[in-house]
Amino acid sequence: MTTRDMNLSATIALASLMSACATVAPPQLVEARNAYTASSNGLAAKLTPTELYDAKKALDKANMEFDNHGDTLECRDYAYIAQRKVELTDTKARTELDRQTIAEASKAGVVVRDSQVKATQAALAVSRNQIKEERRDNEAMTNDLRAINTAQSKDLQTTVTQLETEKQARVAAETKLTGAMNDLKAIAAVKDDARGVVITLSGSVLFASGKYELLNTAMTKLDQVAEAIKAQDDDKRMVVEGHTDNRGADSINQPLSLNRATAVRNYLVTRGVESEKITAVGMSSSKPVTDNKTAENRANNRRVEIVIGSPGLSSR
Amino acid sequence: MTNKVITALAALGLAGCASAPIPVYQLERAQSSIRGAEEIGARSVPAAALHLQLAKDQTETAQAMASKGDIRSVLVMARAESDAELAIGLAREVAVHSDAVRATEDLKAVRARGNP
Repeated sequence: MTTRDMNLSATIALASLMSACATVAPPQLVEARNAYTASSNGLAAKLTPTELYDAKKALDKANMEFDNHGDTLECRDYAYIAQRKVELTDTKARTELDRQTIAEASKAGVVVRDSQVKATQAALAVSRNQIKEERRDNEAMTNDLRAINTAQSKDLQTTVTQLETEKQARVAAETKLTGAMNDLKAIAAVKDDARGVVITLSGSVLFASGKYELLNTAMTKLDQVAEAIKAQDDDKRMVVEGHTDNRGADSINQPLSLNRATAVRNYLVTRGVESEKITAVGMSSSKPVTDNKTAENRANNRRVEIVIGSPGLSSR
Repeated sequence: MTNKVITALAALGLAGCASAPIPVYQLERAQSSIRGAEEIGARSVPAAALHLQLAKDQTETAQAMASKGDIRSVLVMARAESDAELAIGLAREVAVHSDAVRATEDLKAVRARGNP
């Protein structure tokens, strides 16, 4: 046989082989076709036509693949899928038939125990238990929150009570101060100026002429001054200033004014005014409140001033 | 020249058609059907359990094929989904059938007692 003859034979054999493959359907496709035929002649046509139609479409795909390309892997895949869809159709048809049986029994008064309903009821029971547990957790959380809220309310109430107590104490202190100042005004001149509150006591009320020992009557007045001072803010500093008129030498007036201021200061300390917050200074005749031309004016200049000022107050 | 023709003919016979890569929605559908079959109790029904297992195996196969660029993975995934759907159907059939059998027996008993 020549090479030419051999090639020709091979070509013919190959063509024949291909032609044979194209006409022999794979077993999967044959099975799917048979299954579909049986299904379409059975219950499915009446009870599950939609599923049957679905199976038909899958089978058509398999057939088309076979017609176009022969026995390919894809053809077998499509046939496999078609087969499953036909089986599913039949399964659903039988299920539908059973459902109709159940429906008839139910119409006849039979209480049907539906397995699916039981499964759903079981799932529902699980859900109910979960809800119960969640409710318990929520209640516990609510109780905790209430306890926290109650504790915070108590704290708040305590704070409010404390503030109220402090407010009342402040009001009482202000009332006491006002009362003390009012009493003071009956015996002394009280005014506000740049230095602070100035309490002015006449020299003749406190001392005998030329002397710096306190008169007994002065002490009574100074007791009231002490009460008024103690009712003041603790931070305030005080300066007691002794003043004289311009009669006599400064060498006499200066020590006299200082001694008088010191006498007043020391007495106030014995009456409870804090020692470190009050000082005494002698001003002699350097700060008159009026001229010294008349006896009355000179009497006014002869005085002791108690200055209740800011924390930074210091003697002039 | 003839050798080349034979080669070309042979090649024609082996040629297949191209397929698209495996879509995500198809994987999700197959997995959803598998979960549905398990939840409905397919494992306890022998026929359903078989198809459930087939579905799982073919899902894995399809994913492996897709990772290697095998375009047939799409069809293998479709096979998996069809098996999972069948597993659901078979499991449901058994449950409903047992209810139907009970209902039929109860109906017979009712009729035997002469109740409407």
